[in-house]
Amino acid sequence: MSAAVETTAPRGRRRKPIDGWRWAGRLLLVIMLFYTAVPMLWMLITSIKSGFAAMQFPPQWWPDEPTLASYQKLLDPQNSVGQDFLHFFWNSLFVSTITTVLSVVVAVPAAYAFSRFSFPGRNFLFFSVLLRNMFPAVIFLVPLFILMRILGLVNTPGSLILTYMTFGLPLAIWLLKGFYDNIPVQLEQAARIDGATRFQAFVTIVMPLSGPGIIATAIYSFIGAWNEYIYAYTFLNKNDQLTLPIGIQRFFSENTTDFPGLMAASFMMSVPVVVLFLVLQRYFVRALTEGAVKH
Amino acid sequence: MTTVTSQAETSSRIAAARTSLPSKIWQHRADYAYVLPAILVMLIVIAYPIYYTIDLSFFKTPPGLQLKDKVFIGLDNYTAILTSEVFWKVTLNTLIWTAASTLVSFALGFAAALALHRDFIGRGTIRAILIIPWVISAVAASYIWKWIYHSEFGIIGAVLVQLHVLDRMPNFIDSVNTVLPSLIVVNIWREFPFAMIMMTAGLQTVPDQLLRAARVDGANPWQRFWHVTFPHLSNVSTVTILLLAVANFNSFIIPWIMTGGGPANASHIWITHIYELAFGRQRWGVASAYSVLLFIILMTLGYFYVRALSGNERRERNT
Repeated sequence: MSAAVETTAPRGRRRKPIDGWRWAGRLLLVIMLFYTAVPMLWMLITSIKSGFAAMQFPPQWWPDEPTLASYQKLLDPQNSVGQDFLHFFWNSLFVSTITTVLSVVVAVPAAYAFSRFSFPGRNFLFFSVLLRNMFPAVIFLVPLFILMRILGLVNTPGSLILTYMTFGLPLAIWLLKGFYDNIPVQLEQAARIDGATRFQAFVTIVMPLSGPGIIATAIYSFIGAWNEYIYAYTFLNKNDQLTLPIGIQRFFSENTTDFPGLMAASFMMSVPVVVLFLVLQRYFVRALTEGAVKH
Repeated sequence: MTTVTSQAETSSRIAAARTSLPSKIWQHRADYAYVLPAILVMLIVIAYPIYYTIDLSFFKTPPGLQLKDKVFIGLDNYTAILTSEVFWKVTLNTLIWTAASTLVSFALGFAAALALHRDFIGRGTIRAILIIPWVISAVAASYIWKWIYHSEFGIIGAVLVQLHVLDRMPNFIDSVNTVLPSLIVVNIWREFPFAMIMMTAGLQTVPDQLLRAARVDGANPWQRFWHVTFPHLSNVSTVTILLLAVANFNSFIIPWIMTGGGPANASHIWITHIYELAFGRQRWGVASAYSVLLFIILMTLGYFYVRALSGNERRERNT
């Protein structure tokens, strides 16, 4: 009896530190989940309240009369708020999609070249591409605004697409280069031996293999363009050209107390990118791994 | 003897490189075609703005972007900035904002990555939930938190009052003392998932054999982390911290939407201040001079960034 106690006690003591760390980890995760999820839950709960229910103290932790009125208002093309919201939504979708397609088209060959060829100035060009990411939008705003005026693009989606491409490109090239670095050169060499030109080898061998990389890059470009605020805020001032972030800001400055409406709009604005992210999460995280860590 | 030959070797190599550079470029002319579209777009939208900003920083500009009427004033814009009180206030804010956001985001992200390293049921779900703040728009995040911090109906204040921690609703973002920390909490909410992803990726590269060997040698979990895992992650950590620092230094949306820099400049950081100078008060010359100063700071950071990255590459080539 006493022997059993003696043998289990030290084992228990030896295990204790491991359990301690594991419990610390679990506790941390619970706190982090709380920190992350509570603001988002509160957004959802507020969005299904009436304007009156949102403005109460103490707050209704769960609305007495849940209502989808805010969503109906935003999605109804008959009233002016809904009309504007759907319009902004469409503008955002248009700009983000075109930006994504163009970014991928330009970034694929560039990333491939940075990964495979060793031409003079390669490192210089690669790092200057990366350095672009370090500069804030504000530095480029005034000159770009004037440039857009010269090009006649102010108040058009073109101004946004052109700028979004440039801030998306460095990251796109960086991520894709990581993918190309991991595709064995031997595959292309085999194709070359079989008589393919370098370009043919690129199109027929490398492109199909880099699908996941292209998907990941596309998601990044799309989310970046969808969420962009400062250029859109500066370049656009016609109501029918605004994208969602600016549209929501306008909405808030006109309806300062309609928090349910604002939360519903924030939620609707987050849906496309969150869904996109959750569906394609695999590629998303892998891209960062390949690009940044194994780099 | 050896030094002489190696010197001769390097000088001859330099000479060879010099004579053959044009022909080398010519040889590789097809390679440039792949990079050209990217470089062209970047040149239009980057090189020109940089030149333009530097140029404008030496001029006194009239409001309304009537730039024909600008007057050359040399370095006056720079001296005006460096002697103004607001500059030092904003710089201090920026330092606090950048350092606190970066370090806490990194620590939380790293800790979360470690806690999620061991496989368990629901790990994928938890990870996905933790990443969502990073995906949603900063504008949406700003409004969500503005509502959470609301001075009459905010949920944090309401909970604190209901639990009798406070006897009246606190002012999170309308008070000079609490506004900056409150905004930093929002920023960390959006930034830590990035650190988490990077460190998760990094953790996967730590060889299992080393950890097992350390355990056999009797290392406790802390020792295993400190002597095996952590040294392995020094590169990823450097890159992550640098990227976070640059992103935080450049943040704009959260302070701009939530407070617009107020109250009394208490939440102005460099970028919001520059924006207000340029587009709010239309002092383009001063704003450009600010941008040039910013530029210099970022180039310094960029130097370390490139060094960290190319350090990675060199090490990889050696292995």
